[in-house]
Amino acid sequence: MVSQRTGLLKYGFVGPALVVLIVLNIFPLLYNVVLSFTDAELVGGGARYVGGSNYSRVFSTAEFVEAIRTTAVFVAAAVSIELCLGFCLALALQRGFRGKSAILTVLLIPMMLSPAVMALFWHQILSGDYGILNHILAAVGLGQPEWLTAPGLKLISILMIDVWMWTPFMMLIALAGLNSIPQYIYEAAEIDRAGAWRIFRRITLPMCAPLLALAVLLRTTDALKQFDLVMAVTGPNDAATQTLSALLFQKVFGDGKTGLGSAYACVLLVIVIALASVFTRYIDFIQRKQGKTQQ
Amino acid sequence: MKIIRWLVIVVYFSVAVMPLAWLAITSFKLKEDTISPTAKFIPVASKIESPDGSDTSVLFTASTDAYRRLGAVNIGSDYSFFHYLANSLIIGALSALSAVGLGTACAYGFSRFRIAGAKDWLFFILSTRFLPPLAVVVPVFMMYRQFNLQNTHVGLILLYTSFNLSLSVWLMKGFIDDIPRAYEDAALVDGYSRLQAFWRIIVPHAATGMAVTAVFCLISALNEYGFAMALNSSRAVTVPVYFAGLQGNISGVPWPQVAAGALVFVVPVAVFTVLVRKHLLRGVTFGTIKQ
Repeated sequence: MVSQRTGLLKYGFVGPALVVLIVLNIFPLLYNVVLSFTDAELVGGGARYVGGSNYSRVFSTAEFVEAIRTTAVFVAAAVSIELCLGFCLALALQRGFRGKSAILTVLLIPMMLSPAVMALFWHQILSGDYGILNHILAAVGLGQPEWLTAPGLKLISILMIDVWMWTPFMMLIALAGLNSIPQYIYEAAEIDRAGAWRIFRRITLPMCAPLLALAVLLRTTDALKQFDLVMAVTGPNDAATQTLSALLFQKVFGDGKTGLGSAYACVLLVIVIALASVFTRYIDFIQRKQGKTQQ
Repeated sequence: MKIIRWLVIVVYFSVAVMPLAWLAITSFKLKEDTISPTAKFIPVASKIESPDGSDTSVLFTASTDAYRRLGAVNIGSDYSFFHYLANSLIIGALSALSAVGLGTACAYGFSRFRIAGAKDWLFFILSTRFLPPLAVVVPVFMMYRQFNLQNTHVGLILLYTSFNLSLSVWLMKGFIDDIPRAYEDAALVDGYSRLQAFWRIIVPHAATGMAVTAVFCLISALNEYGFAMALNSSRAVTVPVYFAGLQGNISGVPWPQVAAGALVFVVPVAVFTVLVRKHLLRGVTFGTIKQ
């Protein structure tokens, strides 16, 4: 074997990246935990230790409960709509036809674009007075909803933009799932005269499920962090759309309460770590499964 | 069945493309046509005069005015769009380069050497991707204030490098795992040192993978908004932050310029998307699914 006698060289390869990650990601995390027990403020130094009082404030305010609710509604709605739409699209696009790859590529573009820039432009589409969406609704005789200002509609507007951006992501992974089902299974089912619905229920869906689950996990952890769209559509301090990230931002940069903001960050972090550990375990599972089929 | 399939594709495609088409149309308008109470979607070359003064025409005067005015400084900002575009490109390119460089070396180490706890380290690296950026914004903000990295390009480059490392390491590990070990073994037998083998054998063979990874890192750095905004009020302001700042413009958002600028900003991203389309699946799943 050649990989002996390499001594310290291997650490020279892996070390720098790990150092960068530890300095810029892990150290700030720990620092954040320390800050969350102080009354640090954005301007002026001299933070004092205040015990768990930031945390008791976090859990006793209505804002926090409200933000958890908003975030949960947003994540659940966004992920489920994107999953259903994306899977339907993947089913529709599964069979080959002329121009398929061009159509696929165009469909994938929204998810690569800057959420902040595109969400700002979406004001042109959603505006109650001059937005193209309301022009279209007027043309077919429907109402003129105030998408960006009516309290009940703001979150739906953000949801719309998120669905526009991220449905292609679900579609992409769902298509990979569909393509991984061997043709002979369908042929065997046809010989057994299984109906279309039965084939879908018993073959297509279960065989796609592992990849769909991966897509759902990835999207969930991403949607939980949603911040850019909220900022662009309503700003961080709007009761109707204040997600956890927006609330945290408002506490730190709006109110200047750094210590309190850090406590929010820790709470958010616990939620994300719980989800991420499910996620990394799942990736491990998929990789081992892929390894098996490749051999 | 066939009809339903086509219906799904056609309907979704038109809805999904509409915002992009509208972006392009808006960029050729004059400002008053972007806030008109009637939808204006048919461009005409000549100037339109409405006979009775009411404005119900769906025609608008096509103009490249917005593109020409990208070089002008908008009310409320210090520089023109191109200044911010240059910031974005410099920060994006340098952070992508360093993320790919560090990531390739790290991936090579994990791919070819026996490292204690390698799997745990790899999952540690992956887990940093799931950190909500806002959970570290406060300490990073304070660290940067301490080291005078606020409002600097270097500050954002460092930060984006670290955010992209997880993706870079995982993608590159996938690409390097695919290169047969025999290539390097032969080189080592021929008297190459480990570093030479890495440089002369692995890097050329992994070049496509490195380019693909760089594109993903570049795009995510170009698109980042939260930190760019929180850490900058001047100098290293990037395009997303600049656009977000126009929202509070007292004379109203200059929509044609926003659209023109957004188009200039996103067209390269769209082109890159087309270039890496075969690797998109790999990119968005951290190399978990190879196709």
